[in-house]
Amino acid sequence: MNKKKVLVIDDEDIVRISCSRTLAPVGFEVRLARNGVEGLKILEEGPFDLVLTDLKMPDMDGIEVLRRIKEGWPAVEVIIITGYQTVDTAVKSIKLGAFDYIEKPFTPDALITAVSKALDRKNA
Amino acid sequence: MFVRKSLHSLTGKLIITIGTLMVVGSTIFWYFLFRHQEGELIKNSVKYGYSFVDYVKKSTRYGMLTFQQLLIQQTIEAIGSAEGVLHVRIFDSKGKIAYSSNKKDIGLVFDKRSPICISCHSPTGAPPKDTQTVSISRDANNFRVLNIVQPIYNEVACYTSACHVHPREQRVLGLVEASLSLAPLDNSIKHQGIAITVYVLVFLFVISVVLCTILWNLVSTPVSMLTRGMEKVAGGDLDYHLDINTKDEIGELAHAFNAMTSDLKKAKNELVEWGNTLEKKVQEKTEAIHRAQAQLIHSEKLASLGRMAAGVAHEINSPLTGIVTFGHLLLKKFPAGTEEYEDIQVIIEQANRCSTIIKGLLGFARASAAEKAPTNINDVINHSLNIVRNKADFFNIKLVTNFDESLAKVRADSSQLQQVFLNMIMNAADAVEGKGTITITTKNIRDNSGDFVEIEFRDTGPGIDDENLAKIFEPFFTTKPVGKGTGLGLAVSHGIIQEHGGTVFVKTKLGEGTSFFIKLPALKEGP
Repeated sequence: MNKKKVLVIDDEDIVRISCSRTLAPVGFEVRLARNGVEGLKILEEGPFDLVLTDLKMPDMDGIEVLRRIKEGWPAVEVIIITGYQTVDTAVKSIKLGAFDYIEKPFTPDALITAVSKALDRKNA
Repeated sequence: MFVRKSLHSLTGKLIITIGTLMVVGSTIFWYFLFRHQEGELIKNSVKYGYSFVDYVKKSTRYGMLTFQQLLIQQTIEAIGSAEGVLHVRIFDSKGKIAYSSNKKDIGLVFDKRSPICISCHSPTGAPPKDTQTVSISRDANNFRVLNIVQPIYNEVACYTSACHVHPREQRVLGLVEASLSLAPLDNSIKHQGIAITVYVLVFLFVISVVLCTILWNLVSTPVSMLTRGMEKVAGGDLDYHLDINTKDEIGELAHAFNAMTSDLKKAKNELVEWGNTLEKKVQEKTEAIHRAQAQLIHSEKLASLGRMAAGVAHEINSPLTGIVTFGHLLLKKFPAGTEEYEDIQVIIEQANRCSTIIKGLLGFARASAAEKAPTNINDVINHSLNIVRNKADFFNIKLVTNFDESLAKVRADSSQLQQVFLNMIMNAADAVEGKGTITITTKNIRDNSGDFVEIEFRDTGPGIDDENLAKIFEPFFTTKPVGKGTGLGLAVSHGIIQEHGGTVFVKTKLGEGTSFFIKLPALKEGP
């Protein structure tokens, strides 16, 4: 079975590493991007199943990344990573097409559950 | 000096005016009375003078008719010797004295222009008046002398008598002239004048004394009392009372004065009172300003803390994610129950605790993002109670509600209010330590700044001491054991209520319990 491909876009190293270290052992192919522009470039390289993106980033914020993904790759599910402070924005992002949001700091289990749920829906 | 002052006083002026009027009036009265009496006396004297001359004529008539000259002379002399008769003379028609009480005068001839004749014989030669005349002159002693001249008219008996002295055609045969002294009359008038003057003077004196006494008692004394009262009042003695109880104008004046003094006293007292209350009011206002300032500083502190917390939270959440993730990864490498497993679990727990603290901190920043709508406070409290009622912590706590059914609505974010109420209820539960009563009361109140809804959370806990009371609204202040409270609940609640235009205050009594009051502005009823 093909590994599901997940792209993580976050300006914080520790968040990106946390995601890859959580998701890789459970069978996901994880690519990492430092910002929105880089993330969109990686997306063009091949089909991805899911994008995890931070909301608050320099240059291009998560909402803009979400908008571009939904324009270019409507099939790709998006989960927003957010802090408690920007939960309201995250809730709004769901209206814009995001599958879910996950609040920092998250546990590995919570992340795996959220990602699995999103991919289950995609396959269903 | 004293006389001058007395003359300028009211009494002095009144006495001078009335005295002058009385002296002038009395003098005029006295003068006219005197003149009238004098005139009457002289009129009577003249009447008696006429009678006297008549008497002379009748006494000598027989002598005349019988032409007995000696008898006539003797009669005249006899009459002339009477007291008060200066002389009696009979003139013939040629102006010669035929008989006289003074023999020396007999034979003297008076010219028509002599003073005694001109009253009848005019100097222009006109026919003489043939009526009797009266004149009054003065003698050497300045006594008045009454002169009466009466013509002797011709009559049948005269021109038919045997002597044939007088022809029938002659109308006036001669004159009787009598001079009578009016000395007794003058003396009497003089004495009367003196008597009247004395009476008038006595009358004036008595009237003046009586007037002075009356004026002194009715005007001068009360006026000087009034003056004294004025001086006292001007000097600041507002307790001075005038004891004048007459019903006249002075009495009214005194009454008005007393009323004025008591009004002045009242006004002064009011002013003093005002001064005192003003001081108190200024103090109150100053305190209010200080409180408002402190509140402002506090709010500003909370706001900057909120901004800082938001920034910190964003930065800290990511490292926390790392700690939690790698904690869990590490956890999988040790079997449960080993020391390492337990240690790693502590790391994860503490990281989660950090996350909770940050969420609390971020409550400040979120307070402004409220979505407000007309809200029934009683409903929100009921929802909050439903959440806690089934928790194990509340099994031994009696929850009592005293809701005002007609409670006004407030414009509020119900989820934020629920957060506040839950915090209040949790705090109360912590205060009673799981065993006691929590009473929640709602009511409408009205004060000078408007209508409010007041919610009271009363617990039967131990109360809060003064030292802690000053700090309970400060962020991170908590009396709960480490790990149980963040110290942000009341600070966040305070921020939320403040953002709703309300206030939170506390009343506490050691050993009896604590009441937290939340006062929110009532929503005005729609038109």
